[in-house]
Amino acid sequence: MKWSSSLYFSDSALYYDASMKTHFFIAFLVTGIVLLTCSSLAQTVVIVNTSVPSSTSFDVDELLDVYTLNKAHWEDGSRITVFDLKRGKSKAAFYEYIGMSEEELQRIWLRKQFTGRARPPRSLSSEEEIVERVGRTPGAIGYVQNQSVKNNRNVRVVAKIKGTK
Amino acid sequence: MIVSFQATIRIRESACGFGRALLVPSVAALLLLLLHADVLHAQESDELQLFGSMQTIFFHQDSRMTIDSPTENIHFTGSESRSTFALQQMDLFFRKEMSDNFTAFVDLEFQLNYSSEKHWGSLSLQEAWMNYHVSDALNIKTGLLYPAFNQLNEIKNRLALQPYLFRPLIYERLLSSKFLAEDFIPEHAFIQISGMVPFGDFFAEYAVYTGNAESSYITQSAPSGGIDTDVNENFEFLSGVDPTAIKFKLFGGRIGLQSRNEQLKCGLSVTHDYNNLRDSSATPIHLVTSEARSLFDKDASRWRFGADFSYRLGPAFIDAEMIQVLYDSKRAAEQKFELEQSFLHTMVGYDIAYPLTVYGSLQWSDYTFGLDADYFVYSAGAAYRINSDIGAKAQVIVYEETYKNDPQALTIPYNQKVTITFFFLGFSVLL
Repeated sequence: MKWSSSLYFSDSALYYDASMKTHFFIAFLVTGIVLLTCSSLAQTVVIVNTSVPSSTSFDVDELLDVYTLNKAHWEDGSRITVFDLKRGKSKAAFYEYIGMSEEELQRIWLRKQFTGRARPPRSLSSEEEIVERVGRTPGAIGYVQNQSVKNNRNVRVVAKIKGTK
Repeated sequence: MIVSFQATIRIRESACGFGRALLVPSVAALLLLLLHADVLHAQESDELQLFGSMQTIFFHQDSRMTIDSPTENIHFTGSESRSTFALQQMDLFFRKEMSDNFTAFVDLEFQLNYSSEKHWGSLSLQEAWMNYHVSDALNIKTGLLYPAFNQLNEIKNRLALQPYLFRPLIYERLLSSKFLAEDFIPEHAFIQISGMVPFGDFFAEYAVYTGNAESSYITQSAPSGGIDTDVNENFEFLSGVDPTAIKFKLFGGRIGLQSRNEQLKCGLSVTHDYNNLRDSSATPIHLVTSEARSLFDKDASRWRFGADFSYRLGPAFIDAEMIQVLYDSKRAAEQKFELEQSFLHTMVGYDIAYPLTVYGSLQWSDYTFGLDADYFVYSAGAAYRINSDIGAKAQVIVYEETYKNDPQALTIPYNQKVTITFFFLGFSVLL
């Protein structure tokens, strides 16, 4: 077996070269698969409570409207409860996706709150907390890395943020 | 208990009696709301949200005044300096989402070191309304509310949202003896229907509202000048309600455009109501001619027009608004006597780094109410956000006021110029 024989020094240079190429190719393949898997695991996703109507669109404009609090209700008339992360890669990825900075959103939230129009998002410390609160709050929405969702049956992944790792 | 608490600040010199009358019921209402907050905090949507803001200031002022009246051989020059500390304003806000469709909101405002014991400042209920959300395109708000008129009216007493300490001229309560905000803007309405509709990368906004013409019709005091010809007022038998209820109502609205990320906002506003000229604060009744004075016995049909614009591009931003107030008075027109008011405000700012914002602003107002008066305010300042809840602010303001001779209206040639330089330092705190 070439692979196993390549573990030993061979007297044949030609055979050594071929064995090493195969070895590198397999290593490259395995590394690629691992990286792709890790990349897939670390993707930022948008989650909602399962009560949110499945017909709802979650494109970038929709998410922007929800997080600027301009859209306060889902299509079925239920109130939207927005959750936000205090910090982390998911937050940076999500904000970049909707094209807003933290300061811009804070300014908008403060105005909406002080004019009575909306309640600013609840800012939570961990992704696990986001998943748990979205899961038990009807009409809730949040964003986390997809491995944080695990098998929580009360939340539904509705959008994946492109280009996040 | 999840009770969010946040805060603003502001000032006024009047309405002590009103504040005292409100104190007991207000404190009782506050206690009830706080008790309610404790009980209802368990459910996210039912909890009472309590937050607020306050602003505390130190200011120094140098004033200089000159008055000239050549025919009366009057020449006067005076100057004065003073400085003081003040709790400019504190607001407490209560908000409750009663169901998916109903929301209630209350704004209780304390101004200028409020003390009923010392008769300082004022306590007032600025807003108390309930909103019924039919859809994002249709909201029905009822109660005491700030109506949609330009962009500043809605946040005129939310000082924590602004980088400045001293508000634009007509909104500044420190100048309430000079400028009554309601001469330029509809301060309150009682029913408003509003909504926003997505329109590509924008939202189209609209609002229409109605309410009482202005608060001077509700006062119990007799007219300040002229002959009382208002029959309704002579039959006034209810306290604290509009005695001219049948005649004078406010109607207004705004249409606007807002980008989805809220970096661009603009709109046009209009109102129609009546102004009780007998209560006009700006009219120097003792100076105007008898012909001009006769105009001030009347209620004048009034139109206010407004335009607003704000744009933010990265760290730079600009805010601007203008207001034109016109009166429909045949008698004034016959006498070639102008009754109109104008206001213009522009502010340009830059976020040097996130916590530090610098800005400069220019305001101008023209007042032709028995005199030809011009007001200019030049202002520059900085706001530094110490953390997410506390901001330090500094501002320099130059205020110039010029009364020119208006032979149509004045009994004597009269020129007056006042220049005041203010230095403000303060802190704005979100509670």
